[in-house]
Amino acid sequence: MLRQSARAATLAAALVAFAVAPSGAQEQKGTLVFAVESLGAQTLDPILEGRPGNAVYQAAMYDSLVGFDLKKGGVGPGVAERWELSSDGLSWIFHLRPGQTFHNGDKLTAEDVKFSLERQMGPGSLASAAASMRRTIKSIEVVDELTVRVNTSSPQLGLPAALSRAVAPEGAIMPKAYIEKVGEEEFRKKPIGSGPWKFVRNVPGDRIEFTAVGTPHWRGRPSFKDLHLLLVPEESTRVAMVRTGEAAIASIGPETMLSASRGGLEVLSVPGTMQAIFQFWGVWRPEVKDQPIAKPRVRQALSLAIDRKQVIDHVMNGKAALPYPFATFGYTDYFSADRWEKWAAEAYRYDPVLAKKILAEEGYPNGFELKFANTALPGTQFMVDIGTAIADMWTKVGIKVTLKHYEWGSFAPMERGDQAGLVGWASMYRTAGRPDAPWRYDGAFSPESTQRLLGDKDNCQAACQEFVKTYRALLAELDRGKRTALTDHMVEVAADSWTVVPILEGMGYYAVNKKKVGQFEPIPGRHELGDVFERIPRPDQQPWKK
Amino acid sequence: MKRYIARRLVQGVILLALVATIVFFLGRLTGNPVDLMLPEDATAEDRAALTRTLGLDGPIFEQFAIFVGNALHGDLGTSIRMKQPAVEAFFDRLPNTLALIPWAILLGMALGIPLGVVAALNRGGLLDRAAGTVAVLGVAMPSFWLGVLLIFVFSVELGWVPSGRMGGPAHYILPVVTLGTFLVAGFMRITRSAMLDVMDSEFVKLARIKGLSESVVIWKHCLRNALIPVLTLWGVFVGNLITGAIVTETVFAWPGIGRLTYEAVIYRDFPLLQAVIILKSILILGINLGVDILYAYVDPRIRLA
Repeated sequence: MLRQSARAATLAAALVAFAVAPSGAQEQKGTLVFAVESLGAQTLDPILEGRPGNAVYQAAMYDSLVGFDLKKGGVGPGVAERWELSSDGLSWIFHLRPGQTFHNGDKLTAEDVKFSLERQMGPGSLASAAASMRRTIKSIEVVDELTVRVNTSSPQLGLPAALSRAVAPEGAIMPKAYIEKVGEEEFRKKPIGSGPWKFVRNVPGDRIEFTAVGTPHWRGRPSFKDLHLLLVPEESTRVAMVRTGEAAIASIGPETMLSASRGGLEVLSVPGTMQAIFQFWGVWRPEVKDQPIAKPRVRQALSLAIDRKQVIDHVMNGKAALPYPFATFGYTDYFSADRWEKWAAEAYRYDPVLAKKILAEEGYPNGFELKFANTALPGTQFMVDIGTAIADMWTKVGIKVTLKHYEWGSFAPMERGDQAGLVGWASMYRTAGRPDAPWRYDGAFSPESTQRLLGDKDNCQAACQEFVKTYRALLAELDRGKRTALTDHMVEVAADSWTVVPILEGMGYYAVNKKKVGQFEPIPGRHELGDVFERIPRPDQQPWKK
Repeated sequence: MKRYIARRLVQGVILLALVATIVFFLGRLTGNPVDLMLPEDATAEDRAALTRTLGLDGPIFEQFAIFVGNALHGDLGTSIRMKQPAVEAFFDRLPNTLALIPWAILLGMALGIPLGVVAALNRGGLLDRAAGTVAVLGVAMPSFWLGVLLIFVFSVELGWVPSGRMGGPAHYILPVVTLGTFLVAGFMRITRSAMLDVMDSEFVKLARIKGLSESVVIWKHCLRNALIPVLTLWGVFVGNLITGAIVTETVFAWPGIGRLTYEAVIYRDFPLLQAVIILKSILILGINLGVDILYAYVDPRIRLA
């Protein structure tokens, strides 16, 4: 039986929370004003909001079944303080922490957890994983007031991660009795949760206001009395608001870091929030077999031609890191991070001489023509600059790059169907910072997946078959050590294929007015601050170190 | 006159039907909201389920037929992102935009009309050239750039006014100046040319021969007549402000219909986009119709043409 004992993590999280908790935390005063570029759907009903919106503002008032490891990032305790897998691998048992209440005073119990998960899976839910949950979760049982059993149709080792806010919003816990009493419409107007912030007001297109709970909360008792999240789409206006003190914190992109810093603001970066990558489409298809990019060594040469340090220094203003292999981070579950960090440092080095040598050995001493689709996924506009930079670097080793820029809305449909517009092309892409690598690998490499970068069901060759075999074994493996070995092998298969190549590990960036908030630490890998607001001290409590 | 109004109304309805059709099909060419709502590792199953939930799974002509049927009953759909009736979302935000427009128009007229008069009186002179420069700057400066510049100078550096968002009277200053600068230029140019036309007319010469003072001739006789095209322009400007405040509202985080349009485009919120554009079109058609009727009333040559 694989036991997911989270006691140690609970203790560590409590210690971290204690360590960062400002002195004089008993007093709550002032308003924490945060200016953000998007408030998503701006609804306080968790089943109607996607991941980013949930993470930005819903997280303030809702707790998640599984939470964060505050220190290293990734999965940690939440409403459930620990969880374990049954011996047959077909049930997860979640043990809730005692003494939790909703904002109306109702106790948070296993009934609420069951209700919330079922609501996320329900027909009116817009949750992105609703369909997957309906397929994988067979039933949910309330064992006792503080214990919930989730029965799955097959072993689902990634389920706790999928119900963690570190990954997805579907673990948000809603008040069963309240919603049943007042109905969905009223709940959407006057929502209540169990988080450290209570809902006050939602002004569409403008702001959401919360007020702090006055009682202790396991996520931390807010130092500020009120929390206002302002929707300010224009970045220069957000920075101006922080400079004038109209806002304390604003989300910014890497291109604004320098000006914010020169303007006297503190620039806070959150490590490991995403990977910028480039990938090759349909290289396994017969019609591409004679193209240079069908050869893994050619794809490797294109990686060697990229000076990642230059990109980090000049596009990301130094606030990014060399990446781990595709979709892995320092906090990835069941993953030998140290080993892969060393591997990546060597594999993703800049070596244009070797790149040219490989190209010559593969029959392309004068380079070749490469079609490259440059695009940026929502919220990461700087990827376009990264794409432009690497296209330029490829040119320097003799590649004749045909660069075409796509707005994401027009790029995304090309991924689907026969991928006619992308087969034989390279493109920019992104992967978000999540601790569960297998889920992302499935989306990129599975023959049934949308992207199917290694092959499809009718044409699954050696690397594709090895991936399928490893992935299936991984899903069924209950032993922690063997699961780590399988994850490492899955990463290896993908890394050796050079079909998806990380360029850098990006960060989340914030401009902070040091006179308005005290020093605080974000959660690694968690771009948004929805789970951080309650741990942000006032400046008098925790001044910024010079 | 009744025939004229009836003809304009029919034209308006045809135009609206065209706008609705174009925005329905063009909007869908720009992408799919599902792509923006799902994470990059979403499965095909998740995508299909969400597409179904959003009602985007049927053939496009079937969706269009449903849209037309509902629109004829006044239902322009529900916002995909906000889960709110799109018409309701539009009218929730409209007052915020309308709160800016009168002040911007007032600023444009208060500065633009006197500048136009002064420029006409000094035709070819230094003041005319200076006013011309103001006009060129007003038209040429992108409102995005001007807005950011105003924020930097008057909010960040001088700290005189808030940098954005709705609030008390001080919050209106920068957005109104940004919107009004374009109008100053417009009003100035049209006033100048209208004044020059009027100043050459026979009745002005007669007024002078009658011995009226120059100020009475200029400000009473010339300006009153020169204001007719200016008032026509007023209608056009209101229409432009309703549709064109997107940039200003975005820069100043002003929750009006300009920003609602921007959000509808960014999130591929088709029902909202359709509703916003159709309702804006109705507003503009209404304003233009009102202006045309007034104009036709004032000038019989128009309704008889």
